[in-house]
Amino acid sequence: MSGAANRRLQKELADMRASGLRSFRDIEVDDRNILIWSGSICPDNPPYSKGAFRIEIIFPAEYPFKPPKIAFKTKIYHPNIDEKGQVCLPIISAENWKPATKTDQVIQALVALVNEPEPEHPLRAELAEEYLKDRKKFMKNAEEFTRKHSEKRHD
Amino acid sequence: MESDDMDYSDDDDLDDAMDYYGNEDDIDNVDPKKTDPEFFMYECLTVDEVEKVLNESVEKLSNSLKITPSLAKVLLNEHRWNSNDIIDRYRDNASNLLVSSRIKSGNGKKVAHVTLLCPVCIQSHTFDKFQNLSCGHSFCKNCWSMHFEIQVSQGISTQIRCMAAGCDVLVPEDLVLSLISRPQVRDKYNQFSFQDYVKSHPELRFCPGTNCQVIIRSQDLSSKKASCKTCQTSFCFQCGNDYHAPTNCVTIKKWLTKCADDSETANYISANTKDCPKCNICIEKNGGCNHMQCMNCKHDFCWMCLHDWKSHGSEYYECSRYKENPNIANESAHAQNLIHLQAREALKKYLHYYERWENHSKSLQLEQQTLERLKNRINEKVMKGLNSTWIDWQYLFTAATLLAKCRYTLQYTYPFAYYASMDPTSSRKDLFEYQQAQLEAEIENLSWKIERAETTDRGEIENQMDICEKRRLTLLKDFFPTTTSDMNS
Repeated sequence: MSGAANRRLQKELADMRASGLRSFRDIEVDDRNILIWSGSICPDNPPYSKGAFRIEIIFPAEYPFKPPKIAFKTKIYHPNIDEKGQVCLPIISAENWKPATKTDQVIQALVALVNEPEPEHPLRAELAEEYLKDRKKFMKNAEEFTRKHSEKRHD
Repeated sequence: MESDDMDYSDDDDLDDAMDYYGNEDDIDNVDPKKTDPEFFMYECLTVDEVEKVLNESVEKLSNSLKITPSLAKVLLNEHRWNSNDIIDRYRDNASNLLVSSRIKSGNGKKVAHVTLLCPVCIQSHTFDKFQNLSCGHSFCKNCWSMHFEIQVSQGISTQIRCMAAGCDVLVPEDLVLSLISRPQVRDKYNQFSFQDYVKSHPELRFCPGTNCQVIIRSQDLSSKKASCKTCQTSFCFQCGNDYHAPTNCVTIKKWLTKCADDSETANYISANTKDCPKCNICIEKNGGCNHMQCMNCKHDFCWMCLHDWKSHGSEYYECSRYKENPNIANESAHAQNLIHLQAREALKKYLHYYERWENHSKSLQLEQQTLERLKNRINEKVMKGLNSTWIDWQYLFTAATLLAKCRYTLQYTYPFAYYASMDPTSSRKDLFEYQQAQLEAEIENLSWKIERAETTDRGEIENQMDICEKRRLTLLKDFFPTTTSDMNS
């Protein structure tokens, strides 16, 4: 890991903890490896507003010149997040990545995507179809799924 | 060989004479653009020659707009190397052009730089260690250099952008090269940006031949056949795929995609399925028993003869009825049946053209083998000294080359015909099919004659070659788009 990565991540972590994002809480970082973060996404919009979703952020050794990777550790019923927890987020794709983009901007983009699914480019086509064609059924399924699988929220 | 001969002669005089007659010839000749539908002017260039061509454009633009060569390169690359267009737009509104070319930031005012802390690496540096682009986003030189190296390692060169989030300003070449320290990375950068320049230049194409370094240049931007003089690869100058006259670039792409998508499915369907004789739904046979019951309409029938199962009695496996195509299309008027019928009809139609396309492609290969056999036979004859010499047989190889050329064109008439058949407004369809049939008949005739050639047949074969090539050229003249404007219509 380069000095740049270490300094950047220390600073970003301190800033994020200080600012206390409402939608991203319980940030945990391994003492020996600052390249791996985890935390809980707390979306505002139904059907996800009742749950918290653990995510893992893995930074490459070349950070911030290469983008971090994000994976959901909690199962979620969402057109843009697949069964393995992979998510397609343009801001951290290799083509779009900018070294000056900060992790809290990435998190905000992620929370926005969870709150407002983008069925036009889904990872799970069947959920996107349900979302577009039968919103009621989608909301019911997603709420039930959230109740069953998501983490407790301590608001 | 010719030049060797020339060395012995009185150079100057002879050259002059050649030039003189050469010029005279040109005046006598008719414009080949009009007589030969496949005429194509192009040159094969080396990387160095192309660099020279590109650099001349860069220098010209940089001089006329009074900008650095590096910015001129960005402008040219972003505008398909159209200098005149760039100059006009620059004179019209320089600022607009620079913003749309991603040289200047659209946000107008420069970002004021107050701190000496680099936002990327979170380190303080002295003022001289910082560097910004026209957008004003300032970062330390170490970070810029790291950014460039990582981008180049991902194959990005002319499209490297400012490091600030949301800023689209491109990094000009001079800055990249001044901050990359490792020579391998510089070489990579130069190599990748050269590729980008060639790709954005409408007159240039990389030869698609494996490991071939040649770049083809032509001012005629149409779908003509270019042949690399180094590796002999031929391709369509416009789309870069295999040459495909008389079919145009868009159609051949559609056809090849369709073949790739459909051929497996279509072959399977035609080999393993039949339509239910009652409701016409497509049925796949998945067991050995020939007693079929349609899942859709519950009709019992025999897979072999497609007749009602009841008519078989108990001897179904001995089914020896004459298999006639049960034409029940008129009887069943259900909308669903019609859809199935249409789907099967569409498939049949596609298969008709596909089989012929495939067949000619195979014939091309087979004729290559025939030629090899012919060579052996001729060798034998010549060795035995049976009243013929090697030279007597040379015409046969010319004939085989011409046959291959004609058959190649014939093969590519089928995608054209397939799509023409779908278009009811195509009034020239009949003429095309007529010419195609004529060409096909003459080609088969030539192929037959070549396979059975003896020295005595020379006149006849040469006559047949002439007919074939004339038919081919007539078809191309009538149906192959010769200019770029035709392509779009």
